[in-house]
Amino acid sequence: MNNNNLPTAGLEPLTRRGFLRAATLTGMALTAGCASLGGRRTPNGEAVYAHLSEEEARVLTRLTEILLPTEQFGLPSSTGEVPTVANINDMAGDMAPQTRDLMAMVLWIFERRPMASFRFSRFTRLDDEEALRYVRAMQSGTFFERGLMTTLHTAVCVNYWRDSRTWPGLDYHGPVTGIWGVRRLGNAPMPTA
Amino acid sequence: MRAINIPRDGLPVTTARDMARDDSISGRFTLKTEVVVIGSGAGGSMVAWELARAGRQVLVVEAGPYHPSSAFTEHLGDTMTEIYREQAAQLNATADVLFPEGACVGGSTVIGACVMQQPPDSVLRRWSGELGLKNLAPDVIKPLFEEVGREQYVHLNDAHEINTTAHKVIQGCERMGFSWKPVSRNVRQCALTGHCLAGCPSDRKMSALVTHLPWAVGHGARVMADTEVTRVLIRNGRAYGVEAVVRDPRTRQKVADLRIDAEVVVAAGGAIQTPLLLQRSEIPDVSGQLGKNLAVQPFVQVLARFREELHGFRGALVGVEIDEFIETDGYMFFSALAEPEQLMIQGNQGAGPDHINFMKSYKHLAGLNAFAVDEGRGEVKWKGSHTDGRKVISWNPSRSEFEKLKHGAALASRVFFAAGAEEIYLPSFQRLSAPSVFDLDARLDEITYGVRGMYSLRINSFSSHGTCRMGVDRYQAVTNARGEVYDVKGLFVADASLLPEPMASAPHWTVQTLAKQVAQGIHARGQELFLKG
Ligand SMILES: Cc1cc2nc3c(=O)[nH]c(=O)nc-3n(C[C@H](O)[C@H](O)[C@H](O)COP(=O)(O)OP(=O)(O)OC[C@H]3O[C@@H](n4cnc5c(N)ncnc54)[C@H](O)[C@@H]3O)c2cc1C
Repeated sequence: MNNNNLPTAGLEPLTRRGFLRAATLTGMALTAGCASLGGRRTPNGEAVYAHLSEEEARVLTRLTEILLPTEQFGLPSSTGEVPTVANINDMAGDMAPQTRDLMAMVLWIFERRPMASFRFSRFTRLDDEEALRYVRAMQSGTFFERGLMTTLHTAVCVNYWRDSRTWPGLDYHGPVTGIWGVRRLGNAPMPTA
Repeated sequence: MRAINIPRDGLPVTTARDMARDDSISGRFTLKTEVVVIGSGAGGSMVAWELARAGRQVLVVEAGPYHPSSAFTEHLGDTMTEIYREQAAQLNATADVLFPEGACVGGSTVIGACVMQQPPDSVLRRWSGELGLKNLAPDVIKPLFEEVGREQYVHLNDAHEINTTAHKVIQGCERMGFSWKPVSRNVRQCALTGHCLAGCPSDRKMSALVTHLPWAVGHGARVMADTEVTRVLIRNGRAYGVEAVVRDPRTRQKVADLRIDAEVVVAAGGAIQTPLLLQRSEIPDVSGQLGKNLAVQPFVQVLARFREELHGFRGALVGVEIDEFIETDGYMFFSALAEPEQLMIQGNQGAGPDHINFMKSYKHLAGLNAFAVDEGRGEVKWKGSHTDGRKVISWNPSRSEFEKLKHGAALASRVFFAAGAEEIYLPSFQRLSAPSVFDLDARLDEITYGVRGMYSLRINSFSSHGTCRMGVDRYQAVTNARGEVYDVKGLFVADASLLPEPMASAPHWTVQTLAKQVAQGIHARGQELFLKG
């Protein structure tokens, strides 16, 4: 990939400290519980996110569409069938307040960061092609741009692929002990002296 | 004669829920025991068994929850949420190196990959000769290693335990002329599910959940879960117990404060938590080494895509190792490919169609983990007050550690190319892959050290050690050769913290062997350490 063709040049640097704090979210991306896969919905079917602001939900939804254009590939939709953003919402609900604030900061920056390079547009207003270029630019950008992008990439992708409905599309078998009827052995016998 | 009743299945464990229901337990209570063992993982479970069977009254306190094998779902996401420390999000201070640990009854042994290795004799000779730790001389420690090996059902993988991922590694090694061998594992009748990192629901993995803990319980030891020791109590240079907090694992609400009076305290919380606990307890640290010398055995995973379908996630998780470089360069390589979530953690950076295509190629992927021995310069530090402070794990690769890891990734890539890989995905924060061996060096050159090696290679560590190293010089080490903390009688360490130097072998077997030795040493000094002799 030729970095010169990508719009990294105009991306203003984050402060290192702020970025490092934000990057703790990379790990937090792994924290959503499986019990929460359902998400919550209003009676008319709209998703309600108790722990994400409207803007955050919009950014995450758009990023999910960009990172995971699943329907073209015959996979369960990343924004419909698999509640990727609802899973991230649940994760946010479990976060320590300080970490939650950091996630807000990462999303705020991510949304506004393309403004310098993409005709003053926010991330959510970029068309598909531009949004993908922006994501790729971040991925091959400076070390903190890479870290920031990795944080969000991990949050979105883990919360999609952890859903067992995505596994048949990968020919991944998932749990097998039950299917195979593998017997439990119980505790190991104590060694004799 | 005492009756020995080993539970056939599961463990009797006192949990926060039990305590909340018990009217006799108020917000603050005290227990008495001869030995309190802090942590129920590889080291703690061994000490509990050894001392309980020697007739001592043993209480094991574990910060994490009790998750019986029957409750495992073989779903890595669930498991991380429930029994990995901080839900698998324990990171270094710069938030780019992951330090997963088990935080549950059984500790990291519950989620381990089952690889069992002994350090080579040359290492043991160095420790006993140059470092003066005579207790680690091969002729002294080897019989203990063998005993632990039998307890753990350690065996060399049979042919059926070598899956397609591992076969690709074998093919590559044969072409490159690298020495390889089947891995030794602690599994009884492995069911080849490939879900080791998510816990073994059929009790085949010889984790502490099904070995040393039930055996200890059979000999009368008690186990408490959801109970985190916050401080070791010390008076006049003698440990006399611990303070702990019991919390509901789901709500994190405090159920009770607990004090345990004990004649011997054994810290076995693992190489990250034990030094933090001892720092919070303000133990005298004459050597200034407490929490220092953190060695992490950093590793990166190289993924390779092959033309044919491998379904490399099926079968035993770890099949073979490349042993060509262990003694010469400290490199270990293990074949392994886990669940889809793991691919995110290990480092696919594709976006849009690239990402989906990468995931769609899952059944064509093989993984090879490249471990390097590090320099042991990391540090674990508790900052702030003992109640409100926080931990800081400092470890970033030095330039030479970074180069080593990069070289490890290069070797792993070459092995896969030699086996016919069509593309290699490099473990970097950038999105980097190489379509052929001829492109590899140029791609690797794009991974630069940058600022302290941060956000450069995607590094994991499963095997921290060395933060309370044992040594014969009180000014250089935290514990003596018996694992007793210098200047605190009755306080022992029996976990991965004890390892005297960075080592290039998977640590589980060594940790348990050292813990056995420490426990036997405590038993031998019964007259001196226990009131009733
Ligand atoms: C995912 C993974 C895979 C691994 N695979 C392998 C492998 O294949 N081969 C190998 O050799 N090694 C492997 N390891 C490493 C190996 O598991 C560890 O080296 C070993 O378990 C360390 O033993 P330990 O007793 O020091 O700590 P642990 O086994 O981690 O046990 C420590 C226990 O203490 C508890 N604890 C900590 N602080 C407190 C406190 N204050 N109060 C109460 N309880 C506390 C913790 O919750 C934990 O349960 C793996 C580790 C991980 C995380």
